Amino acid sequence: MKRGFRDFLGALEGAGELKHVKKPVDPRHLSALAAQAREATLFESIAGYPDWRVAGALVSTRKRLALAMGCAERDIAPRFESGIRNPIDARLVPDGACQEVVWEGDGADLTSIPIPLMHVKDGGPYISATLVVSRDPEYGRNVGSYRMMYRTPRETGIDLVSPSDMRLYYQRALDQKRPLEIAVAIGVHPYEMLAASYKAPIDVDEFAVAGGLHGAPVELVRCRTVDLEVPADAELVLEGELLPIGWTTDEGPFGEFSHITGDVKWNPVFRVKCITHRRDPIFYMLQMPWENDWLAAPVIEAAGLQALRVASVQPVAIRAPIGGCCYWTLVASIKKRPGEGKNALLALLSVAEVKLAIVTDDDINIYDPDELDWAMTFRVQADHDVLVIPGARGKHIDPSVKAWAAGKGGLPTTAKLGIDATIPEGVPRSQYERIRYFAKDAVRLEDYL
Amino acid sequence: MEALRATPRHFAEVVEAHPDVAWRDLLKAWGEVRAAGVLGREEDGRYRIGQ
Repeated sequence: MKRGFRDFLGALEGAGELKHVKKPVDPRHLSALAAQAREATLFESIAGYPDWRVAGALVSTRKRLALAMGCAERDIAPRFESGIRNPIDARLVPDGACQEVVWEGDGADLTSIPIPLMHVKDGGPYISATLVVSRDPEYGRNVGSYRMMYRTPRETGIDLVSPSDMRLYYQRALDQKRPLEIAVAIGVHPYEMLAASYKAPIDVDEFAVAGGLHGAPVELVRCRTVDLEVPADAELVLEGELLPIGWTTDEGPFGEFSHITGDVKWNPVFRVKCITHRRDPIFYMLQMPWENDWLAAPVIEAAGLQALRVASVQPVAIRAPIGGCCYWTLVASIKKRPGEGKNALLALLSVAEVKLAIVTDDDINIYDPDELDWAMTFRVQADHDVLVIPGARGKHIDPSVKAWAAGKGGLPTTAKLGIDATIPEGVPRSQYERIRYFAKDAVRLEDYL
Repeated sequence: MEALRATPRHFAEVVEAHPDVAWRDLLKAWGEVRAAGVLGREEDGRYRIGQ
């Protein structure tokens, strides 16, 4: 059954993972307050915005991501893979809650939405939880996620610097000197957000991937003013177009997913034509950086599993740690045959921008940092088990690659590090027999208290 | 406006300088400054008016 944003809020509530904030909160304080809560937060009263609520930090932990995906924490990658493998086409429906209220013309005013100021050096208030739908006459529909900075009541900036299908669509529209219509859905189920963050082949409809994750079609409604479709159960939709001005307008800085303040970028402008929303809308504030990062974890972990299988290595578990922003680091345990610790490292280091990979045997619980440290201490000889691959593709956002040295438009490179923490060849497994406590199963501490 | 003319500021510093202004009013006013096309940016992201 297809679940929506509010179903997920209900699941968080049921798991004791949702904190309700009942006192009125100014939009300039939302992010700072959400950052102080262990749970996801639902702000029920927004100063100056009596019709709105705001939800944030919904998937800021692996536990809450697993809750969204209806699986165990260690199964988020295979769960995501199953969605990719079994897409279900979206279904068009005649109407949806996202269009209960419609504002067109001068009524389409972004200041009517409680867009928060999130970080000290942000270039303005940001809409961070976007599901952006676009269409190219040749390639078809695309769904992605791009941050948007408030500029005026009818305009936002949009970060379209990184390569993406929508960047290609925009470039093609720009070449023809025409705007690119887009629709921005805010407040959708994490499955739609995951599908949007997945770099699907250009002919794959991300809504079908989301359908595969749901096990049911995503229901879409036609937009009011643009030739696009959006999830019918979204909380809020912005319809409009990217102006054919190219990358000419200042956007940013913004608190990046790397936990680092970004730079001012030059980007296109989004002009709003229509705003639709539910009668009692909830604005979704995606809390940087961890919520953004966890939404990337299933994608990068699934890519790691795939890379290991292509390398004919049998994976047992995989983890993209939050310390590596679920993007730069992969840790995997494998059923190892001789030499495969190194094969596994080479495979994992080939994934996207992963620059640190650690491989262990299958007896190590890679979700336990102490066990991982133990394996790296006693199964690693640095002169045999550490790989350094210099000169690989890097990412600007990582300060250690010194992107500025590459010059304007230049691409930075990075060194990649692999640590083979599997039992070295030639060392008998018996050397690693763990201590076991005598009579461990025969006595219980509770009986002696 | 005058403050930005005197010293470049981050957006958050503009917000901090107007603690009693309702958020929506502040966004509208900021939109007017934006629309006037007078804002420039420093390399570190601070806004300025004029050169």
